[in-house]
Amino acid sequence: MLVLGIETSCDETAAALVADGHILSNVVASQMDLHASFGGVVPEVAARKHVEVIGYVINEALGSAGKALEDVEAIAVTSRYGLIGCLVVGVAAAKALAYTLKRPLVGIHHIEGHIFANILSNPHIPMPHVCLTVSGGHTMLVYVKDLCQYEVLGNTLDDAAGEAFDKVAKFLGLGFPGGPVIDRLAAQGDRTAYNFPRPLRRSGTVDFSFSGLKTAVVNRFKGSDISTLPVSDIAASFQEAVVEHLVSKTVQAASRADVSAIGVTGGVAMNSRLREVFAERCRQEGHQLFFTRTDLCGDNAAMVAAAGAARLAHGESADLYLSAVPNAPLESAA
Amino acid sequence: MMILSIDTAGRSDAIGLIDGRRVLADFVGDVTHNSLQGIIMNIDAVLSNAGLTLADVDGLGVGIGPGSWTGVRVGITVGKMMAYATGKPLCGVSSLDALASQAGDASTLICSVVDAGRGNIYAGFYRRRGGVTVKQGQYTAGPVEGLVARIREPVLFVGDAAQVHRQTISALLGDLARFMKAGEERQGSATALLALSRLERGESDDALSLVPLYLKEPLVQALAARKR
Repeated sequence: MLVLGIETSCDETAAALVADGHILSNVVASQMDLHASFGGVVPEVAARKHVEVIGYVINEALGSAGKALEDVEAIAVTSRYGLIGCLVVGVAAAKALAYTLKRPLVGIHHIEGHIFANILSNPHIPMPHVCLTVSGGHTMLVYVKDLCQYEVLGNTLDDAAGEAFDKVAKFLGLGFPGGPVIDRLAAQGDRTAYNFPRPLRRSGTVDFSFSGLKTAVVNRFKGSDISTLPVSDIAASFQEAVVEHLVSKTVQAASRADVSAIGVTGGVAMNSRLREVFAERCRQEGHQLFFTRTDLCGDNAAMVAAAGAARLAHGESADLYLSAVPNAPLESAA
Repeated sequence: MMILSIDTAGRSDAIGLIDGRRVLADFVGDVTHNSLQGIIMNIDAVLSNAGLTLADVDGLGVGIGPGSWTGVRVGITVGKMMAYATGKPLCGVSSLDALASQAGDASTLICSVVDAGRGNIYAGFYRRRGGVTVKQGQYTAGPVEGLVARIREPVLFVGDAAQVHRQTISALLGDLARFMKAGEERQGSATALLALSRLERGESDDALSLVPLYLKEPLVQALAARKR
């Protein structure tokens, strides 16, 4: 089944065509540069960009796959979880296309999309497994019982991991987004230089918290002349604390859920140190590790199309009253 | 020529359907509903009540604002995608122009008004010239008081925002201000008729590139510009 996916939940305008697990096209118009000068994503700026480029992005997804709009058999769109003004543009486009083309429509939860980016990358990942979805907008541990069946095990209590990277990078004058630049600098730094706190170590839960860690970094160097600081060492030490927090909670969740397979997905899954430490720990603990391929880690629409195909295969679809819900729980239906 | 129009920039969503200059439908949505949820089924209801489908429509008109930023993006995105998927011509129409065109043969200055939130409005001035409504100068955005202070002659206000700010306007302008009676507005068909006029002049917009008319920058950009 040829599914057109549309994703506009944050700062990427994306459209993709996926047929039976094969990605025929995956177009992402990133707004990164647009938001860099503001030090973060500005919702109204993002929504304006979505409406400006959505048509071109969909047209490009069709063109680069060599398909016509009439070839599309179903339309999947991220309708839940994200910035409301941004979600609205994608859902409006998807509904108009579904109505005009008389094709089934399905609304996807953004986190479910990321879980499917992992499944697209690793079609043979065992079920059930535990999936860590980690980006600038979310940090969640999900028990994936089977396709489209989820149970949220843990969640961030404050910031998302990627947000902490952004805030620390901003404090150190490294620009936006923070993830890639901290990853790069950390590679040359000493990760034992500073001993930043490991959050929620004795909480007994598999939740996350990054706000205190970020504040610890800021408080440690507040008032210092940034240009004199060993930025690489700070980046490496901060990153080490984030990575250890993510890995230890994920491994703990997998053990508790008694599953051997772990998936890691979302923008922060691109972090090289996270990949290294996860590989190490999973080898020690005898877990199978499945990372999302790097080109599907960030927000994209191939993952939305894949999730849509799975929902439709389960006989689920949305009606044309589909709306956008910014903070819906993951378990809700399509 | 059959034209379907959508304008979701105002408080209520408007959908119009015309056959030439003949109005077939003027749908006004419930103000308590969000534009996104009902827009497609409302369009479907307008078409099916007229015994038509989207395939029978010859062109699409879409209100480009100014107005609710999220609201206008719903209508414009739906219009763009319908035009893209059907290949039918698309015409963007200013929501202020469509309001002003409903003032009929007013002999005075016409001022169309859309609410911009927090005591602000978007406005346009018009005069009737040779049977058509002609825009005078640029659109404006700002506080109601600032706009009204510029008026020195009898003026007919059009638009639901004029009703919202009626007390302020009347206090400042007294007898100079007149208001179109609420319920007189036909934003859907007015948008469709202006789209038809544009199509007859050989004009249309590109379905991929059409964007809303915001008139105001997002706050962060305005602040950044001020800093520069």
